[in-house]
Amino acid sequence: MSARKTDDTSGAQRPNQRPELAALDDETIAGALTRMHLIRKFEEAAEASYMRGLIHGTMHLSIGQEASAVGATLPLEAHDYILSTHRGHGHCIARGAEPKLMFAEFFGKETGYCKGRGGSMHIADVEGGNLGANGIVGGGLPIAVGVGMSIKAQKNGRVCMVFFGDGASNEGAFHEALNMASIWKLPVVFVCENNKYGMSMDISRAMAVANVADRAAAYAMPGHSVDGNDLAGVAAVAREAVARARSGEGPSLIECKTYRWRGHSKSDRNLYRSKEEIEEWRLQDPIRRLEDELKAHDRFDAPSLMKLEEDAQREIDTAVEFARTCPDPDPKDLTRDVYAI
Amino acid sequence: MPSETLEATGDVRELSYAEAVREALGQAMEADERVFLFGEDVGVYGGAFGVSGDLVHRFGKERVIDTPISELGIAGAAVGAAITGMRPVLEIQFSDFVTLAMEQLVNQAAKIRFMFGGKASVPMVVRLPGGSGTGAAAQHSQSLEAWFAHVPGLKVLQPSTPHDAKGMLLAAIDDPNPVLIFEHKLLYKTKGHVPAEAYRVPIGQAAIRREGRDITIVGSSIMARKAEAAAERLAGDGISAEVIDLRSIRPIDFTTIAESVRKTHRLLVVYEGVKTMGIGAEISAMIAESEVFDFLDAPIIRLGGADSPIPYNPVLEKAAVPQEDDIVTAAANLVRRGEA
Amino acid sequence: MPVEVILPKVDMDMETGTIEAWHVKEGDLVRQGDTIFEIGTNKAVMEVEAPATGAIRNIKAETGVPITVGTPVAWIYRDGEAQDAVPARAPSPSSAGSVPDGPAKSPPIEPAIATSPATAGLRATPLARRIARQNGLELAAVSGTGPRGRIGEADVRRHLDERRRCASPQAALAPVPAGALTEGRLQPFSAIRRIVATRLSESTRTAPHFYLTSEIEMSAARDLLRRLAARHERIGAPKPSITVLIARIAARILRDHPVINASAEGEATRFHENVDIGIAMERDGDLVVPVLRDAGNMDMPAMTREFARLRDGMAKRTLTPAELGGGTFTISNLGMYGVDSFTAIINPPQGAILAIGRTVDKPVGRDGQIVLRPMANFTLSSDHRIIDGVAAARFMADLREAVENPEVLL
Repeated sequence: MSARKTDDTSGAQRPNQRPELAALDDETIAGALTRMHLIRKFEEAAEASYMRGLIHGTMHLSIGQEASAVGATLPLEAHDYILSTHRGHGHCIARGAEPKLMFAEFFGKETGYCKGRGGSMHIADVEGGNLGANGIVGGGLPIAVGVGMSIKAQKNGRVCMVFFGDGASNEGAFHEALNMASIWKLPVVFVCENNKYGMSMDISRAMAVANVADRAAAYAMPGHSVDGNDLAGVAAVAREAVARARSGEGPSLIECKTYRWRGHSKSDRNLYRSKEEIEEWRLQDPIRRLEDELKAHDRFDAPSLMKLEEDAQREIDTAVEFARTCPDPDPKDLTRDVYAI
Repeated sequence: MPSETLEATGDVRELSYAEAVREALGQAMEADERVFLFGEDVGVYGGAFGVSGDLVHRFGKERVIDTPISELGIAGAAVGAAITGMRPVLEIQFSDFVTLAMEQLVNQAAKIRFMFGGKASVPMVVRLPGGSGTGAAAQHSQSLEAWFAHVPGLKVLQPSTPHDAKGMLLAAIDDPNPVLIFEHKLLYKTKGHVPAEAYRVPIGQAAIRREGRDITIVGSSIMARKAEAAAERLAGDGISAEVIDLRSIRPIDFTTIAESVRKTHRLLVVYEGVKTMGIGAEISAMIAESEVFDFLDAPIIRLGGADSPIPYNPVLEKAAVPQEDDIVTAAANLVRRGEA
Repeated sequence: MPVEVILPKVDMDMETGTIEAWHVKEGDLVRQGDTIFEIGTNKAVMEVEAPATGAIRNIKAETGVPITVGTPVAWIYRDGEAQDAVPARAPSPSSAGSVPDGPAKSPPIEPAIATSPATAGLRATPLARRIARQNGLELAAVSGTGPRGRIGEADVRRHLDERRRCASPQAALAPVPAGALTEGRLQPFSAIRRIVATRLSESTRTAPHFYLTSEIEMSAARDLLRRLAARHERIGAPKPSITVLIARIAARILRDHPVINASAEGEATRFHENVDIGIAMERDGDLVVPVLRDAGNMDMPAMTREFARLRDGMAKRTLTPAELGGGTFTISNLGMYGVDSFTAIINPPQGAILAIGRTVDKPVGRDGQIVLRPMANFTLSSDHRIIDGVAAARFMADLREAVENPEVLL
């Protein structure tokens, strides 16, 4: 940890900062920044590997959305659960996944998180509390209800956080899940990453309400709409929702308004949005915004921030190298994991 | 018969199929607090077909849970509970409604273990009352089991007796995989011997209900019972039919079928699901592809549901699925004339 | 889709048929119901009608060759149907898969039909094929009794049983040198010849024959025939023959000898209620046996008329298979050819057959004197499985009594 040490860790002692940022101590901030860098660099390396032909299939990149993944999971404890989406690399890394095992999965290797069977869209780390990314829009939402039922039945005090996109909020699964979670007061936090587009479909054409968070009212749960590129802001509403879930008061819906810089997937030619719009959102880069704010409040200096970024880059470079040298699965093991024995 | 060999020697009573299922649920919940039952109207109502009965009073509303009418949602909830340490048993009120839950069963439950490299398991059971004969018409009478047998990762059972209904449900609850049990609605009131203690009927073993020499009749679910009755009539006509009750269609007990056909040289497959692209096609193809092909002395014949939705009119409804007379006629023709 | 014309099964125990003559040629237009060919069975010639209206194509069956029942022998193309859907001749195995000359035409409309002629002659179940393979048996030699002539396990087993029984020790001891018997003309059996060969072989293998011969005086029978001839002329009935008279007499006394009017059926004896007498006859070198139905209840004029009708129908080949089979007892008379006496092979599943030799004046003792009397040898062949010597002897005694004193009986 190279951040400049401060003796006080209480937000009350940072009165000139907005409360959301003041609530986060330097160690937390540095950890969050590291995670955001890892996400960004992981995806850039994944994209580069793809373009060099080292990875097949496709991938859905979340570059530009790092603050919502890291901010929302910041209040979670080690034994809590998350459920993720097809655009889920960020959630995995935010939850503590090891980039080298994620890259091994990307490269389809036996050493990957899913032994090369799942790939980009199905990374899971069940023991680490990550119950998996999901290739089906809205697929994780009803599962979160069942996880909530388990937590309640087992009385283990955990919380389940389920990520989904704006597109999923138009699926029946969303409405069924929010309704059940609410009637049974389940410890679930629903986190919608609203990046404005369901593939090419603009949310203004896809839903009649202005905000996904407005839909919480139909299920009698709190709905928060938050700037998804503001790490501290996202972490603040997540902390409130997690606390509510853990205390048995029931679920909440958080909407993080953000933007993906890249296309929907590798086949996207960006025909539905303008270069100007993308450029506008690039100026809202969640990493740079946080760094600038930290520097402005003199909490971190430029070299220490630079070091966080360089360390992350080094970890990613090592991870790619590790993944490339790992063994491929043996075709004779094709059906090995279809059934549990 | 594999099932008989596993029967314990303890107390054996006459129970109905529905009572046998309820007894299995009760015993599983008593033995393992991870087990819970949920679905539409399974609580005080007692289940649409009375299967859950008084269980809510014995185990409470926390373990016998009434759900909203949200088939997709509750199927997903079963998946989520299963991967986090519970043993959910979900009732889909009519098996037809499973169409609303396909996403969770086919994309999630069946694939999670595989997609995650074997690092998760989904030990859930879905009970699905199905089949025709109750006048409930096209959207409440289907036999959709073959759809799910097409999906690697799922197990699909069709017990036909009270004994198997109990033993296979207990085996399914023990199983670390998602298991779908299709219960034929007309079987709920049928009675049979059921041992009192908790016993298991292994998944994936067919039962030879009757031994014979001239023809093998393979039936699933209620058609196994009809095949047994047909075989009794065929015996009076000098035809010795061997009747195999599939009990499980995924995994399917191909060995028992193949050994029987090797002996009888003739095969008739009877199932209520639509004949086209159904269970019978799979069994026929497996025999045709195997070395037992060389022992066939007549074409393989399938008797399955008509290429029609199940109609409301009772005469049409009977005509839409194989009946005992159809089995007798088809078997006799196959043995005597070598054709259907 | 062209309509298949098959060689139809026209009789219960028919396994193969021979096309005696085609009434149409390639390309002829036929109407549904037109006669298109004749088939010979073991008993009769049957006309086969066109199953549809259209042009006859791809006639692939030759005349005079036994064909398994159910084999397609031609196709009928209706108006507008592509005529090259089926090759003019089924491809021989050696040319299968070769590229046709010239540019490819439009693809066959009914490829399934195009391939069926090559395999249709050999419909067999997998089990039948397996057993044949294991026994080095050519399936073409086996007659199928299943649907459309399909060969099943039972057919192959029956064939193998026959082959085992036929394996002659002599043949094994003294193998015929290759080529020694290959000179001369080789004529395939006609359909009838095949059946005769099969049935009589079966009879000699399965029915233990024994023979009783009686020399019977024919004076009274001759007198009666003369008087009957005059009477028949008056009433317009055909002239009676010795064969018919003996049939009439035999029919009458068979009623008193049910065990002779019987058949072996598995391990049981079937006693027949009616007396149906077959008369062995020859037609174009083939043996045929038209049957006098319910002969026990016919008088002489009726029986004579019926016999004339059968003989006439046989010559014109208008008899139905039912009229040519199913008797309960058979009479074979070779006296007109100068044969003194002979033993006949039982016509299965019947229990006995009566062989009649020529009537010839012979010196016999009568009242202490040697006198000439017209005498004939009657030989009864009996199946010892159901008929014992004494039973057969009693029948012969009654036969002698009746032939020598026919008016008592008639």
